[in-house]
Amino acid sequence: MTAQEIAIVAFAQTPAHRQYDDSEPSMLMDLTNQLLAETGIEREEIDFTIAGSCDYLSGMPFAFVMNVDGLGAWPPVYESHVEMDGAWALFEAWVRLQVGDIDVALVAGSGKSSPGRPREIFALQTNPYYCAPLGLDPVSVAGLQARALLDAGKATERDFAEVVSRSHRDGLANPNAQVAKDVSVDALLSEPYFAAPLRRHDLPPIADGAAAVLIARGERARRLCERPVWIRGIDHRIEPSHLGLRDLTDSPSTRLAAEKLGIHAGAIDVAELCARFSSEEIVLREALGLREPTRINPSGGPLCGHPVMATGLVRVVEVARRIREGSARRGLAHATSGPALQQNLLCLLEGGA
Amino acid sequence: MSDLPPAAYTLEYPYTRSTGPVVGPFLTALRDGRILGIRCRGRVLCPPLEFDPETGATLAPDFVEVGPGGRVLAWTWIAEPARTHPSSLPFAFATILLDGADTALVHAVRAGSLGEMSTGMRVRAQWLEERRQSITDVYFVPEGQARDQQIPPGRGEVEMTEQLISLSYSEPLHPHRARYAKGLLEGRFVGQRSPVSGKVYLPSKGYDLLERVRLDEADDVVVANTGTVVSYTVITPVQYYGQQETEPTIRASILLDGADQPLGQQDIRSIPISEFRAGMRVRAVFKPPAERDLGELDNRWGSTGNVLSRWEPTGEPDLPFEKIAEHNW
Repeated sequence: MTAQEIAIVAFAQTPAHRQYDDSEPSMLMDLTNQLLAETGIEREEIDFTIAGSCDYLSGMPFAFVMNVDGLGAWPPVYESHVEMDGAWALFEAWVRLQVGDIDVALVAGSGKSSPGRPREIFALQTNPYYCAPLGLDPVSVAGLQARALLDAGKATERDFAEVVSRSHRDGLANPNAQVAKDVSVDALLSEPYFAAPLRRHDLPPIADGAAAVLIARGERARRLCERPVWIRGIDHRIEPSHLGLRDLTDSPSTRLAAEKLGIHAGAIDVAELCARFSSEEIVLREALGLREPTRINPSGGPLCGHPVMATGLVRVVEVARRIREGSARRGLAHATSGPALQQNLLCLLEGGA
Repeated sequence: MSDLPPAAYTLEYPYTRSTGPVVGPFLTALRDGRILGIRCRGRVLCPPLEFDPETGATLAPDFVEVGPGGRVLAWTWIAEPARTHPSSLPFAFATILLDGADTALVHAVRAGSLGEMSTGMRVRAQWLEERRQSITDVYFVPEGQARDQQIPPGRGEVEMTEQLISLSYSEPLHPHRARYAKGLLEGRFVGQRSPVSGKVYLPSKGYDLLERVRLDEADDVVVANTGTVVSYTVITPVQYYGQQETEPTIRASILLDGADQPLGQQDIRSIPISEFRAGMRVRAVFKPPAERDLGELDNRWGSTGNVLSRWEPTGEPDLPFEKIAEHNW
């Protein structure tokens, strides 16, 4: 089968809110309307819709069904859903368009973490016999990973603080950032530990938010926008769920995905990494072999805004925005799922006709 | 934001899981004071897995006792434990390589203070007095602090393990929801009329889902306290965890006059099941103002809280099926 040319033709995101004062479908409705207005197409012309969300976040069983309201519930949609970050919804839509019988897909990711307690909820992702009863949460696992990096000599606490300082400063130029400030590395290092060796600022802020993209095939994509952002490939790989079977200082799944995509066949102008903890960025940079002059997380990344279930798709949006604006030609978006970067997705994007 | 208190709710899932051929023996031994690993092509995996992590092949139940001492490979100090953690005092999570094992177990080390923790340190398992056939039957301490324990064996094999999952949420009512809730406390039903489709939503979600239009306060409308039963079901309570009902009860959808969307899940107790029917005209009777509260009404559901004393028949003739067919499902 010859791969179909598929491009992002429009994208939108909400700011990362500490607490958004309305429902998740209402956020998605605003984004859907924005994408339709920008491309001038009718809702009926969307052939396929898919969203990523998590019912546990706001504690509403079947919340994902309600989210369809926001994508346009009438006339009935050809719809799918992943209980994963919207970046995996993008993957499914991209695969679906590869079939070649339909042209346009709407992809969304959304989440409201503010009503619940993410540390308690996400412990439930872990092994139900060996880990979940311990309440083993993402922050604690990130702490273990950070310690392993220090002990292996692959990072220092100053390296973590440098990631935070740079990210929070970059957030100042991002209107969607929830956390944005100019703080020195030394000031960060004087803060107390939260999950030693991590400090509170090494963690992402708790956020509500959503992102959406409209993708289309070949000629349709060229007609729908002036500057399509081509999806050159998406690959995702997963590692064992048992931490004891993994080297937490490395990300072989990310490296494998990068190899499959051939990311180093050309220059990578920008990389948006779903590094939810400062320590994760160190692991990802190394696994991806990213070097100067690749610009990493110019948006400030998840440390400036982490609307869970949309954070990965936001990375795609941030890369697409820079390619469309012309500040980058070729870029890499990363999404992750599970504790300590267990599963990783890479999406290679490129401008041009 | 409204001046109503945030809606708080708890979700509980009481999981009972069968343990199977590997976790079962592991938890049985753990209850009895021993820790088991499983042999896998020359290595010992602890915690034991049912499969070879390299090939996926099923492992034979070839167990070997490991620990109770071991070495910390990585650790993090949890300065502010969550409610779901195995210690209410600060503690460490650690990956622990037990003596005789080749893979690490993640568990809690109660070391007292961060200064007691170091990579490579020796730790030893300690058993809880009261064991619950769970991974939390043990915890670890620095080896120097370990006590010798006599663990009396339990009875039978551990074939089930229980975990109650309890998640707490709290969120202010969304603005449209708060206005609806205030209306209920004042004894009226406040819906929203879509300026595009003309449909009146009650309770409104703050948008017209047919036209994808957000609605605001200017779209609020008050609808009547009278309406028509458009659909109902009789629920015979199953005695699941948390069930409080014992007798069959009616749950009805009632289309209030002036609304285009029925009010769902209405609890009908003042009209006998044998007399209840779709098409029946009914009236909402509110409690006295001081007795009204919002009960379990939150942003997710809970349609009338505890503001109604009952639904009563108006005595008007029933509406024919054709008039309610659109809502009868």
